[in-house]
Amino acid sequence: MNSIANRFATTGPIRELKKAQTRVEDDEFSDSVWGSEAGFGSLAKGVPNFTVPSVPDPSSFLRLHTDDFADPNCRIKIQHGTTTLAFRFQGGVIVAVDSRATAGSYVASGTVKKVIEINPYLLGTMAGGAADCQYWETYLGIHCRLHELRNRERISVSAASKYLSNLVYSYKGMGLSMGTMICGWDKTGPAVFYVDSDGTRLKGDMFSVGSGSTFAYGVLDQGYRWDLTDEEAQELGRRSIYAAGHRDAFSGNTCNLYHVKEDGWKFIGNYDISKLHYDGPGETPGAGYGYDIRIERTAAPRPIAVQA
Amino acid sequence: MSRSYDRALTVFSPDGHLFQVEYALEAVRKGTCAVGVRGKDVVVLGVEKKSVLQLQDPRTVRKVAMLDDHICLAFAGLTADGRVLIDKARIECQSHRLTVEDPVTVEYITRHIAGIQQRYTQSGGVRPFGISTLIVGFDPNDTKPHLYMTEPSGIYSAWKANAIGRSSKTVREFLEKNHKDDLSREESIKLAVKSLLEVVQTGAKNIEISVMESYGKITNLDLAQIEAIVSEIEKEKEAEAERKRSRLAATAAGQASMTSRATEGTSGQ
Amino acid sequence: METSFALTGKGYVIVASDTTAARSIVKMKTDEDKIKVVSPHLLMSYSGEPGDTIQFAEYVERNLRLFHIRNNYSLRPSAAASWIRRSLAQSLRSRKPYSVNLMLGGYDVTIDSPHLYWIDYLGTMTEVPFGAHGYGSYFALSLLDRYVLSYISSKANTHFFLFTYRYHDPEATLQEGLATLKRCIDEVAKRLVVSPGKYKVKVVDKDGAREIEL
Repeated sequence: MNSIANRFATTGPIRELKKAQTRVEDDEFSDSVWGSEAGFGSLAKGVPNFTVPSVPDPSSFLRLHTDDFADPNCRIKIQHGTTTLAFRFQGGVIVAVDSRATAGSYVASGTVKKVIEINPYLLGTMAGGAADCQYWETYLGIHCRLHELRNRERISVSAASKYLSNLVYSYKGMGLSMGTMICGWDKTGPAVFYVDSDGTRLKGDMFSVGSGSTFAYGVLDQGYRWDLTDEEAQELGRRSIYAAGHRDAFSGNTCNLYHVKEDGWKFIGNYDISKLHYDGPGETPGAGYGYDIRIERTAAPRPIAVQA
Repeated sequence: MSRSYDRALTVFSPDGHLFQVEYALEAVRKGTCAVGVRGKDVVVLGVEKKSVLQLQDPRTVRKVAMLDDHICLAFAGLTADGRVLIDKARIECQSHRLTVEDPVTVEYITRHIAGIQQRYTQSGGVRPFGISTLIVGFDPNDTKPHLYMTEPSGIYSAWKANAIGRSSKTVREFLEKNHKDDLSREESIKLAVKSLLEVVQTGAKNIEISVMESYGKITNLDLAQIEAIVSEIEKEKEAEAERKRSRLAATAAGQASMTSRATEGTSGQ
Repeated sequence: METSFALTGKGYVIVASDTTAARSIVKMKTDEDKIKVVSPHLLMSYSGEPGDTIQFAEYVERNLRLFHIRNNYSLRPSAAASWIRRSLAQSLRSRKPYSVNLMLGGYDVTIDSPHLYWIDYLGTMTEVPFGAHGYGSYFALSLLDRYVLSYISSKANTHFFLFTYRYHDPEATLQEGLATLKRCIDEVAKRLVVSPGKYKVKVVDKDGAREIEL
């Protein structure tokens, strides 16, 4: 019943989509042809286009077949549990994420790359739907490059994040699920923007997203200062992800750490969270972050320097 | 597309010309003159104002338009076409701020305007814009002034100084002779007025000058200020003419004496 | 819990809004500015559905600016309010409406008077002497309807408690207006379970719009 009503409706997403397509075809010479539209004219036809399932109402179709709130027993489980964080400090931006992918209670993968390398000086993080983040942030990368070619200068982090935010906002209510931080260095210095699929976009010094974000904030807020050294900042990022990996069932496995500086981002390393628990980042047995490990360490008699 | 073939109006002539575009350029040449001069850290737009009729309100005729806080545009050609193009450009300026949170750069808006002009040479059922534009301004967070020109064909280019419209060739040649790099504010204004006086016979009351000194700082000179500059230029011209006359007289006298000596010489022989 | 207040006084409008941006139980940011200066003498605070708020506010901001550049003057507060309400009402009847609540405070320089408009996401608009949106409105509105001023005066070693009942005063000075606003903020801080921490306060009067530290 509903589907028939939808098919002949003059409103509704499909209808809108068709209208948008015919409009694009009609306007052979849209602004995008010469690369205008704030430098964001699309590759071919101007409007960012994305194939929606050929059902009358794609968003309700998606809602029906994924575990989005209503029905936890659906076959398609979208990856939700995660911990990602990024913060800005004197020496640039630290980006740290875990690497666990869960589908319901099942750990689907322990080696997911949740930092998306948009280009050599922009990073995006991944929380929510993995596919949504991967697809749209790669798409963002294409447009950042086009912007660069057209305007002969690198896109600002603010503009890049705004582009992504406008893009996901145009799909609001269609089932996109993303919570991402766009991090980079531009003319204004280090910058971090939080963008999510609601269309929220916030500029800030420190963000953490995902089911483990509260645990990460707990560590992050205590250790954060603007004038951290590079080493201190990296340690803080690593320590925060460890904390989330330790306390949140949906986060864990390993921690990927990136540092964005003036000349672009650098991958610092991949750290096994269990190893961080027991051995710490330096892989010294007994030097781990874990509470019991730490207690044991302080309780144990200190080695006495033997004098000759 | 089946309906495409009957939609074109601007088509090539067999020898590769787009006559409609060339006619548009002709309309530009009939329009009032506009000059732009880029100084060291200032950029000046000068336009020739058409004399208004006795009962007309002169304020309704403006040839210099603000596109945004930091960009100004002057045009030559069909005023009505100019209005349409200016409105499109103003919308783009705000739209750009909305999408990337930064004001447009001068080059960006020039490219956009030229893009619109180009589109109207290649679409069906439309005619090209009968205007050329001079676009001046400062980029955000920059102290360097910019001056660009666009044409009906959709060409755009950057200049140190340029003129469009009636007798633009004469004015451009004048500018070529007199423009120096690193002109001060006063020098730039003077050069703009001087070059306009090459074609504007009626003097100060038919000249309009806009000066942009830095990001978002625009002043329009009033009649008294322009009159002062014009009279200064006239004084200089007179002095120059006087010098020329006296130099001429001197050379004439010299020649006369030479010839007289020569005749004396011959007569003496 | 988003909250915004606004009140008029003698020759000014004060608009205040909390500064938190939250997502589920987490405060993502505590210094977000949710009051836009949309034209030289016009302030707009916005709250509601995340995403919609900023998109709509920026849309309004740019269109009012475009109007200013095209016509060389800004819309008067009443005209701007009507236009904004209409935009909201039109979007309400589209497939994807903006769910945004607004307080619009402006100073009309042509007739030298302050104006305050309360607009909700359904496109209701009304001119008010004071107003509020969000949970804060449940506390602040009654307070502004009638609030108590208490003085303690001491005369010759005897203490008198003087209670003065005051209504919101459209003739109040800026200082008094800010004091009243402070009462609203304190009341919300005292009674609301999850009360917002910091507020941003902006004022518009004949000299234009500016931010004020409480």
